[in-house]
Amino acid sequence: MSSTRPIFIPVILGTPRQGRMSEHVAGFVLEEVGKREDVTTELIDVREIKLPVTDAGEALKDPQFSATVDRADALIIVAPEYNHGYPGLLKHALDSNLKEYIHKAVGICGVSAGPFGGARVIENLLPVMRELGLVTIFWDVNFSSVQNVFDETGNLIDQAYVKRFDKFIKELIWMAKLLRHGRENLPI
Amino acid sequence: MAATRMTCSECGMEMNHHADKLDWSEPEPADPELGGVIQEAHTCPGCGKSSTRRA
Repeated sequence: MSSTRPIFIPVILGTPRQGRMSEHVAGFVLEEVGKREDVTTELIDVREIKLPVTDAGEALKDPQFSATVDRADALIIVAPEYNHGYPGLLKHALDSNLKEYIHKAVGICGVSAGPFGGARVIENLLPVMRELGLVTIFWDVNFSSVQNVFDETGNLIDQAYVKRFDKFIKELIWMAKLLRHGRENLPI
Repeated sequence: MAATRMTCSECGMEMNHHADKLDWSEPEPADPELGGVIQEAHTCPGCGKSSTRRA
């Protein structure tokens, strides 16, 4: 049996920082995913997930965030690199779910002001993804010198990212379909 | 595969048991060989809803 529901791939904007350039990246990603047939998407902004900082983990579940992740077939995480690592609030939010992630695909878009395009934050996120039960794809998108990729209003300047993202999203959709079939039909 | 199928709380379909997750956060009794509690992950083929339960 193969499900005919559209593949749902929300985009997590992984930083609450004021003036975040990652917001432009998330906007671009959301627009590109929205162009795909049989795929739906929406933005999850970690700034808008109201999680207290007096506890951690699944005890903090935000009902809306958890329901969105539960409904998802795959996730795209837009993660800036802060001091070679991931934003603390992104990890805090990710840790509030668990069963919602199991056997779902994830792709990561790294963002940095420097030349490496968030390569180190992506590498640091990979073991976290694995422990959450997510399945990573082998395409990333590295937004290097992000201040030169978008103009001040978030319009894409460097059109090479359209083709780079196309490779990434095709792989992610393929993996999302495969894993949905497995979750829904193949017993362990 | 689990001995009994879970039923989806959303649409009533039988769910598919597709993963086991070792959970160390649960209190005793833990599986002495695996060192924790197994949580079964189930997904509904009808609506996609996921659920877990202790094995």
